[in-house]
Amino acid sequence: MSTLIIIDQPPYGSWEGREALDMAFSLAAFDQPVTLMFCGAGVNWLRKGQNAGKVGQKSVERNLAAAPIFGVEALLACTEACNRYGLTQTDLLDGVTVTAVGPELTSRYDHVTFAG
Amino acid sequence: MPDRTLHILNKPPEHYRHHLCLEAIGPEDGLVFIENGVLAVVQLPTSAPDRWYALAPDLEARGLIGQIGEDRVISFDDMVELTATAGKVISW
Repeated sequence: MSTLIIIDQPPYGSWEGREALDMAFSLAAFDQPVTLMFCGAGVNWLRKGQNAGKVGQKSVERNLAAAPIFGVEALLACTEACNRYGLTQTDLLDGVTVTAVGPELTSRYDHVTFAG
Repeated sequence: MPDRTLHILNKPPEHYRHHLCLEAIGPEDGLVFIENGVLAVVQLPTSAPDRWYALAPDLEARGLIGQIGEDRVISFDDMVELTATAGKVISW
């Protein structure tokens, strides 16, 4: 039973995005292995060098880097969105795989869902 | 029937996930527009699959019931039937 969670809310702008990420991690901790797919504005969660202190939030970079420990099997990023936000492989956190959204992707998982 | 995916879309055309859903649909998949998703029937995206439907109560609420062919309009029970017979259901 494999699950793909799609995260398309941008980071730090609203609590909605953070809640989606926290929900995804908690699902991963309890559920079978989970893959996170960042799409749209959500790919911005994966940019290196986040420093959210001055907006009163904790950076999630460390959590994402430790994703495997949280039971997250893979971190995926949507090709189209990465292009739109100027994110090349070197801009992205380590271990992120850039891939396109399509039937081949969603067919690989038993459940495809959104965390918010 | 092959292990087909049924996509349920309640987002209006401008919503990002409306676009994402259309990207993820395979040629054999089914698509059901519900709630705000039914607004798409006025100008159907070219990437919509052959097997698409829209939910009657939502069409009626928005005065869209006459805009599409009878064969495209489904009741809530029809939708439940579709979800029961689909290999997998994704709610966008």
